Amino acid sequence: MNLFTAEVKKGVNDSCVITLMGYLDAHTAADLEACFHKAFADGYRRFVVDFEQLDYISSAGLGVFMVFIEDAKRDNGDIKMAAMKPKIFTVFDLLGFPVLFDIYRTVEDAQRAFPAYE
Amino acid sequence: MIAFSNHTEHIRATATTENLSGIREFVGVQIQDCGFSEFEENGVILAVDEVCANLIRHAFSDGKNQYIDISVTIDDRDVRIEIRDTARPFDPSSVQHPNMDEYFRERRVGGLGISLMKRVMDSVEYSPCSPDEPRNTLILTKRHTV
Repeated sequence: MNLFTAEVKKGVNDSCVITLMGYLDAHTAADLEACFHKAFADGYRRFVVDFEQLDYISSAGLGVFMVFIEDAKRDNGDIKMAAMKPKIFTVFDLLGFPVLFDIYRTVEDAQRAFPAYE
Repeated sequence: MIAFSNHTEHIRATATTENLSGIREFVGVQIQDCGFSEFEENGVILAVDEVCANLIRHAFSDGKNQYIDISVTIDDRDVRIEIRDTARPFDPSSVQHPNMDEYFRERRVGGLGISLMKRVMDSVEYSPCSPDEPRNTLILTKRHTV
């Protein structure tokens, strides 16, 4: 049984959607890091992370987003988050992460929040 | 007022990150009938996870031959979780909460687990190993809210 999976799919507005499932902790954070590395290598800089099926996150999971947010923003991209369960949002909120990351109710809302290219 | 029967359960886990899920499951089962909210329950599980992950990643040089002992004691007043290890002593209760404005401005990575643990637990006490007790002991306490 996989405790955690992260799948990347092409989204709208030049974004990709990373769908998280399961438990993101110090053991599985490396899987998410590898997923971001591949998406970066594929040219993506606009990321929407779908949390709907994520049941658990620890600080190791939060740390992965900190690793990549700067690189994404440097290239006019961003990491936007969507569909968090309340107990997941609480972990982000305890440390003030909503200051740095935009968090949306739905994946569609997050994708629409990326400005159109001129 | 819920009456809690005083009891203690114990688990010993090899100090590897793949055992974190089993440790969380153990803690979750022990506290599931304590009347905690979903947030409180997740917080207690998270606190133990963060302590163990920190031990595994930073304190043990070779976790394959090391283990962590975790006991959960529930009584009428609180839930007390004792985490014992044979790693080099490190007192997480002494770690100060980082200034998050600086943390984000400087784009730091890591170092937040202990801060999370201290935010969700009511008290954190640490005793380094001694001639009488060869293991370091961290005691996390969460008071009942019902």
